[in-house]
This record gives sequence, structure tokens and C-alpha cells, in this order.
Amino acid sequence: MLTVLLVDDDAEFTDVACTIIEFLGHEVLTASTLAEARDWLSKETFDHILLDFMLPDGSGLHLMESLQPEQQTRVTLITGHPSVKGIIKDMCGPNIDYLVKPIQREDLESVLKGKKQPANKRATTAITKHFGQLIGESAPMQELYKLIGRVSKTKANVMLLGESGVGKEVVAAAIHEASECEGTYVATNCGAFSKELIGSELFGHEKGAFTGAVGRKEGVFEQAENGTLFLDEITEMPIDMQPNLLRVLENKVVIRVGGTKAMPVNCRVVSATNRNMEEIAESKVLREDIYFRLAVFPITIPPLRERKEDIPLLAEYFINQLNEENDSQFRWQAVQLEKLQTYDWPGNVRELRHFVHRAAIMSDPQGTDIELPKTIESPFAKKQTLSTGLKAGRTIEEVEKELIYATLEKVDGNKTTAAEMLGISTKTLYNRLHAYGDLNSDSE
Amino acid sequence: MDEGEFAQLQKAVHDARRPLNRITMQSELIKLALEGAVPPDKAMAALDKIIAGCKDCSDSLSDMVAGFSPNNNDAGSSIE
Repeated sequence: MLTVLLVDDDAEFTDVACTIIEFLGHEVLTASTLAEARDWLSKETFDHILLDFMLPDGSGLHLMESLQPEQQTRVTLITGHPSVKGIIKDMCGPNIDYLVKPIQREDLESVLKGKKQPANKRATTAITKHFGQLIGESAPMQELYKLIGRVSKTKANVMLLGESGVGKEVVAAAIHEASECEGTYVATNCGAFSKELIGSELFGHEKGAFTGAVGRKEGVFEQAENGTLFLDEITEMPIDMQPNLLRVLENKVVIRVGGTKAMPVNCRVVSATNRNMEEIAESKVLREDIYFRLAVFPITIPPLRERKEDIPLLAEYFINQLNEENDSQFRWQAVQLEKLQTYDWPGNVRELRHFVHRAAIMSDPQGTDIELPKTIESPFAKKQTLSTGLKAGRTIEEVEKELIYATLEKVDGNKTTAAEMLGISTKTLYNRLHAYGDLNSDSE
Repeated sequence: MDEGEFAQLQKAVHDARRPLNRITMQSELIKLALEGAVPPDKAMAALDKIIAGCKDCSDSLSDMVAGFSPNNNDAGSSIE
């Protein structure tokens, strides 16, 4: 909070400006003449002075003589006179700024923050955040907005399905926002707790319920009363804890660990997983009865590669955010945005955001150009492909075939190098490829 | 236009900016009222002040035109 002195002889302006400055979280005092301003300066210390250039008893510039240099007070001269603008601009030092009437709230906010108005402010405000959270105007996103709009009018539990990094938590927050409910939004990650602790996290515990339970704790169901509870990575929840969750979902009452009293709970449960429906059914990581309780309304969030037209918008938003945080002026060039659209982004929006952040760090902070690496690569993409190949239930032959093709892809089809990497002879590699029907005798 | 007339014009523009500044700030106040940050009655008062500000601005412009009219031998005197 700053202590601000506003010096202006227009009473109507000072009255409304005071309301706005107070809204911005600062304390403000006013003076309508030079004499009054000098009087305040003799009694109080100010962090910032907003000073009209033309006052009834002289120029606002005369007040500068009354300022103590050691106090480092910032001064913003306010002028409605176009010719004065140039003079003030010339004398602007590190502690002197200027504003030209008419003034907006953002102008006041900007000078009181001590930052120059970012030139990209318009671009930031032009990007629509749907439900206050989501960015994207593509057809898959419009469909998503429609589903969010529909389900938010009901109390149904929602299950969000989508790859890692698509923004499941952001969609959960959007559903909460659209629901306009009284309670708060509470998020927790079911994969982050051990079997012993997850009960306490979800349902709370009574004092002395277990070693280390030094006090009573509210569970997330209680915290999200009349609001939204987001259970991330629901399929990573220990299977033997799932009956307890089912009981809460069915009976809408919760009993704290170590407690006996059943307490009614009322919240929408939004759960999320990066497994698809087939995987959930096959891998049996989620009990069927829990699935139907949680996935009353399942929503699949599209991966970024299926909405590439949103990439420029997201990249713009992320760079604007970084510009605001770091007081930089980075700008995308059209050709760079096109390049971003050619990549598949296996890590989805999260990967894009981190990529933009990395690029901003690599770029000259004084300039506007963003330095992009020559190629966009993600080790995550390959790791993900391999890890899906190593699930129980597949035959050794299947996994071997996948490994052979992944190795060949890595070495650009060079069979000798691939065989070396695989630890087999070139002849064995050829035999395998023959068996897969990928080679005929001519190609050997 | 000589230097004296130009100075008069600048003063006239400065005076016209004053109500424009009030209008802008009152509009910001209405935005705050719509966001629920200030009571709604302040928004109603702000709207009245905007209307008054528009009239003031219109008067300033009329004075400016009259001041620089070719029929006015003492250009700028009426906007002092």
C-alpha cells in the first residue's frame, strides 16, 4: 500500500480519483493548491505524488522544490495541455513520470505500480478467457465450452478425460466458475498420497486418530462444502480405499478418520484421469461402481494437436503474461507462430507454456525478438510411447516389435546401427523384419 | 494563425480536456460499481456527472468556434 498525495484543483476529478486509488489499495490525501500541498508535505511523508501541472497559485513544478531528495518520493505530473507534454517528457527522471488527461484507471494503476504501461496491453485484453479460465476459439474448444455450460447448470459429477498437460485442472476450475456456487473450489491429487494418508486427506481426521494426528483436520469434502471438489488422478487412488469414497458419494455423508459422527456433505465432484475409457475398463484401476458415480457426465478434453489453430492464441497469451511479469516487450513474428503450429505438442498446453517460457529466457530481455530453438523436441513424447508399450498384458513379441521399430526410427532406418543398439546381430534384425513382413528378399 | 492565436487555441483545448477527464474517471467509477466494488448509487451520480461533463465539453467547443470565427476580430478573446 502506498501513501499518495493527489494535487489537483478540479474537485470532481479528485473526488472520483480518490475512490479509484483507494480501490487500488492505496491511501490518498488531496490538495487543491500549491500551498495546501506544501502544507501536507511538511506534515506527512508520501510514496507518490500525483501533481496537476497548472494550479491556481502557480505551476505544480514549484512543489518539486519542497520535496526531500532522501525520501525518494515518486512524482507523476498530470497535464491536459498538449504542449506541456513534451517539456515534462524531457525532464522525466527515474522518479518523475507524467500522465496526459483524460486519465483511465489503468493509467493510475500503472504509475502507482511504478511501471511503464506495457505496449502489449491491448493484445492481453483482446484474448478471451472463457469461464474466466480457458483460452481457445477452435471448434473442439467451442464444443467443450458448450458441455461446460450445460453441466454447470446441474449438480452432476463430472469426469475429465484427457492426456497429460491438456488442462484438466483448468477445466475443473472453469466448471466451478460457471456453476456460480456459494462454496469454494478445492483441488487434491489422489496419486500424491499414500494409502494411509489419503483417508485423512479426503475425509479428515479427529485428534489422536493416528500417530501424528495432533489436532482435528477437515477433509477436502468438508472444505468444498457447497462448492467443487477436484480429485485429480483419480485412477491412481489405491483400490482398497475406493469403497470408502463410494460410500461418501452414495450417502453424501462423511465420517472423519477416528471419528464416529456422520457429517452431511454437499459438493460437486470433478475427477480427472489421463487414461481413456477403454484403459480404465481394461486395467481395472477404478471400480466400476465408482466410475459410474464419478462419470455421470464424462468430458474428454481435446489434445493440443487437435486444435492447432489455438496455438497462436495460447502462445500470445503466455508471452503477454511473461512480459507483464518481467516488464519485457517480446513479440511473436508470424513465421514463428506458424512454426509452433507444425509441432504436435505431445505434452499439450503445459509443454507449450514451458517452451514459451524457455524461449523468453533465451531471448535478449531488452529487445522484442523471441529466440526459438531450431527444432522443437520433446523427450517426453518418446518416453510416453515406450511406457505405453510396457504395460502388463502384452506379449514379448509385441513389445520386441515395437522396440525394433522405435530403434530404427531413432537411427533413421540404419539397420546395422539399430542392430548394435538392440544388442542383436544384423542377421537377426533382418530375420525379425522378414517375419513382420517388412522386407522382401531383394532388399537384403 | 499567429502565436497569440495558437496559444489561445491550446488553452481552449486544455479547457475542453477537463470535462473529458471527468467523464473518463466517472466512467471508471461506473465500471467499479458494476464490479460491485462501490455502491450502485455512486454509479447513478456518476452518470449524471457524465451528462453534465458532456454539456461542459460542448460549451467549450462552442466557445472555441466562436472565438476563432472570422467575424470575431479579437480571435480567442471569448475563450479566455
